[in-house]
Amino acid sequence: MSKPATTVGGSESKKAGDASPRIGVYFLYAAGDKAAAKKYRSVAEYAANLPGVSVARTMVSSSLNPAVLARELRKAKVNTVVLASEHPGFFKPAFSQALVLAGGDATQVRLASFGERGDGGALKQEEQRAQALVASAVQGIPFTPVPETTAESFNTATLVIGGGVAGIQAALEIAESGHKVYLVERTGTIGGRMAMFDKTFPTLDCAACILTPKMVAVGQSANIELLVLSEVEEVTGSAGAFKVKVLKHATRVDASACVACGDCARFCPVTTASEFDMGIATRKGIFIPFPQAVPNTYMIDPTHCTWVLSDGKKCGACAKKCSKGAVHLDAKDEVVELAVGNIIVATGYDMLDAGRIERYGYGKYPNVLTSLEFERLTNASGPTGGKIVLKTKRQNKKTKADEWIFEPDGPKPKSVAIIHCVGSRDENYNAYCSRVCCMYSLKFAHLVREKLPEATCYEYYIDMRAFGKGYEEFHERIREEGVFLVRGRTASVEEHGTQMYIHGEDTLTKHLITMPVDMVLLSVGMQPSHGCAELSEKLGIPRDGDGWFKELDYNAEPNSTGRTGIYLAGVCQGPKDIPDTVAQASSAAAHALRYIVGAKDKDQESLSNVALQNTEEKAGLPARS
Amino acid sequence: MAVRANPNLIDDLEHFGARDAIKCYQCGNCSAACSHSDDPYVFPRKSLRLLQMGLEKPLRSALDPWLCYYCGNCSEQCPRGAEPGETMMGLRRWLTAEYDFTGISRVLYRSWSSELAAVLSLAAITGLGFLGFGFLRGGGNLSVYDGPGAFLPAHAIHVFDWTMGILLGLLLAINCVRMWYFSMRNDQALPVPFSMYVRYLAVLPLHFFTQKRFRECENKAPWANHFVLMLSYLTMLTLIMVFLKDMQAGPKVNWYVHTFGYLSAIGLVTTSILAVRGRLKKDEAYHKHSHESDWMFLGLLLFVSITGIVQHLLHRAGLPMAANITYVIHLMGVVPMLALEVPFSKWSHLAYRPLAIYFSQLQQAAAQAKGVVPLGKPVRPQPAT
Repeated sequence: MSKPATTVGGSESKKAGDASPRIGVYFLYAAGDKAAAKKYRSVAEYAANLPGVSVARTMVSSSLNPAVLARELRKAKVNTVVLASEHPGFFKPAFSQALVLAGGDATQVRLASFGERGDGGALKQEEQRAQALVASAVQGIPFTPVPETTAESFNTATLVIGGGVAGIQAALEIAESGHKVYLVERTGTIGGRMAMFDKTFPTLDCAACILTPKMVAVGQSANIELLVLSEVEEVTGSAGAFKVKVLKHATRVDASACVACGDCARFCPVTTASEFDMGIATRKGIFIPFPQAVPNTYMIDPTHCTWVLSDGKKCGACAKKCSKGAVHLDAKDEVVELAVGNIIVATGYDMLDAGRIERYGYGKYPNVLTSLEFERLTNASGPTGGKIVLKTKRQNKKTKADEWIFEPDGPKPKSVAIIHCVGSRDENYNAYCSRVCCMYSLKFAHLVREKLPEATCYEYYIDMRAFGKGYEEFHERIREEGVFLVRGRTASVEEHGTQMYIHGEDTLTKHLITMPVDMVLLSVGMQPSHGCAELSEKLGIPRDGDGWFKELDYNAEPNSTGRTGIYLAGVCQGPKDIPDTVAQASSAAAHALRYIVGAKDKDQESLSNVALQNTEEKAGLPARS
Repeated sequence: MAVRANPNLIDDLEHFGARDAIKCYQCGNCSAACSHSDDPYVFPRKSLRLLQMGLEKPLRSALDPWLCYYCGNCSEQCPRGAEPGETMMGLRRWLTAEYDFTGISRVLYRSWSSELAAVLSLAAITGLGFLGFGFLRGGGNLSVYDGPGAFLPAHAIHVFDWTMGILLGLLLAINCVRMWYFSMRNDQALPVPFSMYVRYLAVLPLHFFTQKRFRECENKAPWANHFVLMLSYLTMLTLIMVFLKDMQAGPKVNWYVHTFGYLSAIGLVTTSILAVRGRLKKDEAYHKHSHESDWMFLGLLLFVSITGIVQHLLHRAGLPMAANITYVIHLMGVVPMLALEVPFSKWSHLAYRPLAIYFSQLQQAAAQAKGVVPLGKPVRPQPAT
């Protein structure tokens, strides 16, 4: 044990042989960690004045010798030890032993853990939080990661924010247990990113075949109230009694009357880029995001609609042509107030803007595509019916400008390069690994080789992260399919004449290689969905340094937040693949149901009585009436 | 063949300015982003890898660091902040120390206080030496600057200059031979016949005077600055070494001494001020990191240039005593600068860079003569027609 850094005298009188606890608070830090030492010293000063504390001091955590510690404990006449550190559990054995050697009780060691309470360590926390943790340990209060709710009667309805696969799964879990769910979705349909995908990795299942039944189930569930084109405006109250204001943008089409015949869209003069197709196809001003959308009704895009933009002076063709009279162009946005007990956040992700990385030429060269654009291109419901083709130049009839578009009979690429880690693992963009890009890139290579057996396919990767079940086998399979894997990050994509070249180092052979390619796919990384910052303020839940919502505890509470009654599901907590997202969504639903079911039981008896009854039943005792 | 690894090498390199090499995860972006990197000299990633592995011997024989001109493209694009450009700069300092047989270079680069002590003590010795010489052997009168009876007679200084020049040149030459031995006589290098050495000899003066490769970097401004600095430096050196008697002739100074002297003085002061400004502002990647030796070099250069100018002005203004004192102060800068920089520090790159280009071309020529074609020669993009 090293020499003490600071010793602060206790506030208690030092009477020998006292039976009351005489507490020694020890702050342990790694040798040389000056920041921790400084921080701990100030918390130690606070701890020294807590009732019952005889001594509070900082200590270097390396080479703890129980015999030396025992001497120290005897000298300070300490019979109860509080260990405060990032991970104090490591030092517990040494102190237990020391307590025994000093003639005390080995069990009298309490822990105040800064590192295991979900905020990445005391150094990043506010000092008050560290003080609270130490004070709890001193007073023998076990710190529960999830604070118990105080609401008198717990509202059993749940709000799910985000209608991607995570939101859908969580909503279905709760709805199927017979409880009310409000599913709020920002776009015009549920389904999220997964609805755009063609295949899932590593099983190469059709994504729509998995997702669509779930979407339909949401649409048909009597317990789920779906609010599309809606955003959470304000959240007040606490667990069991949240009041949520939701801004519901007008679809301007009566969902109960619309039969999705499509007459309106046929006559709509406005054409614009389709968000669902990532802009590689077009849609009308009155539109349905995609044929399998839920709810399956048309809606008007007010930012492009001629009638809306001209304040009702022009057009209005859709309203005139609708045989059901379902189009109400003058419908207004409304604010809906919801009362819920739990909130599940499933806001998902956005793709990094590939145009920010100028040297890959996205937006400059027509055949440099992002991953989601390629998903739409290769999807059978995409603009080319799933054919992988190059863009063709065409003159826009209205603007007379040249534009590059996908046509089903466009030229086929002879070689395709896939660039991994675009904007991920890069300190200039996102320093973290987006986790799914390696695998979806391999999936792209498979799709290219499957649909265009003549085409050469190159993968430019840094490290191949095949961490999941069946992923390594998938990686092997793609290699065997004849895809060229180049270990090296691409430095640039350049066009000379009509040919694109991609330039990089094959780090395994230590040679620079420049490859002529026809199509470049950028495996763009994930980043938190836009609006997450505002939502985190509205909900009062923190985000981490990368912008993802912060879980309460990385290991033990990965989908709880700092607030009871608010849970995280899916990518909004950090990049995830589909199985992990779905699993976490179910788990978030279980968290919510814990309180919903508990609240129901509370109506009859207290929770502890139920637990007692269950125990008695198990023990074979007669049930109480 | 097994290669011995030195696990402490990467820590050692921190003293030479390569602080972030440990962060590199070998993506190869830097090598591909570099306009000089080409088979068989693909860098900087390979050098970072050798450094991480502590492979001292291959690093010592590498010419790659000298083929890099630190435009900063690699550092700007590096996804890890591993500063490949600065790592190459650090490797150049380390190589300078490795080539130096005396070990002085290593001490100077690793310890700022030693460097400062060396400069200050050399300056003191110089100052005392010249004052002593002036009073005992020279004119003996501090208020006589030129002509017969000058305090520091031009012919004596001339002899001193040449003595020092030959001595420093000899030290540098020995270090150059060591560089040749490391890079051309290792088991990876191809044997080069003597005739080939002669045939390619023109490469040396070409690259020495033009810094042609530097100009091939995307950003031309650093080359322009460097070229002007180098030209001014050489002009001033020629004036001092060859025309010293004309410079100190008396009230009448030859027109060419004036013209060239003023031009090179302006060149030296402007370029070194620009360099100081860049290093302070840190706008460009190549100016973000400054080793103590960079500041020492620029500081001495500015000091020497300004004292030289002041000495000249005082002389022209008819203040011989002040001119003589400034002269001694000027020499107190010149001697440490040249004595430390030429064989042991930054200045030595004037020899190492052209030599590295020369050696690399010899290696490529030898490979061609043997019919060894580098593998995976890149497909060159066809220029647009």
